[in-house]
Amino acid sequence: MNFFKIFKNGIVKDNPIFVQLIGMCSVLAVSATVVNSFAMGLSVLAVLVASNFVVSMLRNLIPSKIRIPAFIVVIATFVTIIEMFMQAYAPAIFDALGIFLPLIVVNCAILARAEAFAYKNPVLPSIIDGLGTGIGFTLGITALGAVRELLGSGSLVGINLFPESFQPIGLFVLPPGAFIALGILIALFNVGMKKKEKQELFKADMK
Amino acid sequence: MKETLKLGVILLIITVVSAGVLAVSNDLTKDRIDEIKIAKSLAALEEIFGQGYEFETLSEKEQEEISDDATIVEIVEAYKDDTIAGYAIKTKTSGYGGDLVVLTGISQIEGQILGMKLLEHKETKGIGTKATQPEYEEEFQGIDVDEEATEAITGATVTSTGVLEGVNIARELYKEKLVD
Repeated sequence: MNFFKIFKNGIVKDNPIFVQLIGMCSVLAVSATVVNSFAMGLSVLAVLVASNFVVSMLRNLIPSKIRIPAFIVVIATFVTIIEMFMQAYAPAIFDALGIFLPLIVVNCAILARAEAFAYKNPVLPSIIDGLGTGIGFTLGITALGAVRELLGSGSLVGINLFPESFQPIGLFVLPPGAFIALGILIALFNVGMKKKEKQELFKADMK
Repeated sequence: MKETLKLGVILLIITVVSAGVLAVSNDLTKDRIDEIKIAKSLAALEEIFGQGYEFETLSEKEQEEISDDATIVEIVEAYKDDTIAGYAIKTKTSGYGGDLVVLTGISQIEGQILGMKLLEHKETKGIGTKATQPEYEEEFQGIDVDEEATEAITGATVTSTGVLEGVNIARELYKEKLVD
């Protein structure tokens, strides 16, 4: 099993945001600023790795008939643990993520990886798949956050980049703007991927 | 039947282990979370009353003697120079996504509401969360204790209703039991 391939898949070929288009709810709702996006990304990454690890470890003990409720208990447990520790040690981010932190439990990306990968593969590859998908998710949502914060508030990471007179496009901080920005990013990502694929085929032909 | 039993037992084991892990996590974080809530409350009290006040929270027994209404979470006395200047009443009412914890500050001297702060909530970002904006909080400043508070947020009816319920319960409690 090629570990690097599994890892890379989560970031490029099977990127949850730009290719699989799963887990969109949190992506659109929380990505108005870079900091919040990054925090959400890291939380999803943590749950992905933890959940993939446990599901994979228990894959021979969980009968197929009850696997979905079992996955959900595992995922919900980890999300709740993260909620508690965030509330205790990073209250500002906890308040910023608000209701979307507990909603990670129903983030399709995590359930999808548990079902499609962790339930059928050994522990180490599952952890790597969780890492890859989580990093792919974090990169995607942070990129969207950067675009939305820059165009919608004229700042990045809270630091104002433009002079006072700059009038940001408020739409990007609101849900419609999120859809538009996300759509454009998905298009750009897939165009870039297609180009790369063509290059690889070309190189292979040349050999 | 036997298979169903087996499935049930396995799920039971998974959920019991999960509950155990969560109980441990809760123990580890409970104190810190309580500290943060207390600090937030104190900051809210100082914002409503201003500087130079001492705050004393009534004990459970003292609170019960005044009212056994379950929506009243806490009654705080605000002292300036050792005399009671007002009260802050914390209530828990229903909002849109969950419970709302509202702190209402009332001035004894002026018989008016000094301010409102939404301490805890699970409301929708951009809609119900407007109740945490200064613009909304300011609408509660200066309301006479004999007047019912009615300021609502357009498009966030359930949240507004929950906040108003909390404020008016606090106001009524003050009128009936706490006024000199």
